[in-house]
Amino acid sequence: MSRFTLQPVEWDAWMPPVEADTATPRQLAALEASPQRDSPYFRTLAHDVDSLEQRSPLFHAVMYAPRGLPRADRELATVVVSIINGCVYCSSVHARRFAELTKRPEIIQRLYDEGLETKLEPRHRAIVDFAAKLTRAPRAVSADDLKPLRAVGLDDLQIHDLIHAVAMFANANRLMQTLGEPLRSA
Amino acid sequence: MDLIDAVASLADGSPIANLRRQRPEFVRHSQGSHDVLLAPADPGGLSLRERAAIAARVAAIDGDAALSAHYQSLGAGSESSPRLETILRHVELVTTAPGSATPAGLEALRAVGLASRDIVALTQIVAFVSYQVRASAGLRALAAEVSA
Repeated sequence: MSRFTLQPVEWDAWMPPVEADTATPRQLAALEASPQRDSPYFRTLAHDVDSLEQRSPLFHAVMYAPRGLPRADRELATVVVSIINGCVYCSSVHARRFAELTKRPEIIQRLYDEGLETKLEPRHRAIVDFAAKLTRAPRAVSADDLKPLRAVGLDDLQIHDLIHAVAMFANANRLMQTLGEPLRSA
Repeated sequence: MDLIDAVASLADGSPIANLRRQRPEFVRHSQGSHDVLLAPADPGGLSLRERAAIAARVAAIDGDAALSAHYQSLGAGSESSPRLETILRHVELVTTAPGSATPAGLEALRAVGLASRDIVALTQIVAFVSYQVRASAGLRALAAEVSA
């Protein structure tokens, strides 16, 4: 059985997170602007408020900016990156977003159980393969790697968005896995 | 032209530079992340040279020559110390095997004088350059496709 899950996962920090009663006004404002102000993850990132102030709007734009790559495809890409990097927490969150958007949790379950080579429809196959290559071997990526994406109809902005979703989870998986660890909720 | 345009060789007004401007928040906060991580107004307990050395190591491991050169220009490699060696060992682990990190790794950083904010900043630098390498690699592929 895969260690990855579609169930919610908690996260525990390896350092004391910032507490609301001792936080600076800037830390409180940055936490307000983050996706979950009370989570131990964002309260840990709030120790360096300069970078949290930039990262939250970047992350939000990459995942939710209008038009371009459909949200479900961005979520699929981030799950693939998280599987490769071993991030159980990140994959859980974004697998559930994909399932909510598509009503197709079985696609994620197959990726978990059978690996990234599992049989997929062409659009998903192209996205999974590109996400995997850009994650594992960024310097080897070339224009040839875009051909399968063009073949399933992705335009310039959609490929641009896919690149950034993959890149954003090179980022997220490293923060998540080296400042704390996932806890399966009871 | 921002740093990602420069390292991906995207000239002002070129198709992929213009494509990037359809996502102004990506551009603004990618550059903004770089600036506050590499040149913060108050660097705390992680010096500007240490920050440049951390970023340069990630770019080198990922094989991005243009980003490596950029971070060398910010002062990476200009000094060496047991403290920096400890920091860079952690940077290599976070870059190459993030799932293998343990709480003991953070204790080793505390033992050479890093406080919580410094550890978070170090991790954000590694995470940001990991993002930057992949964003740049993908944009180079898009630019190569246009010119092919």
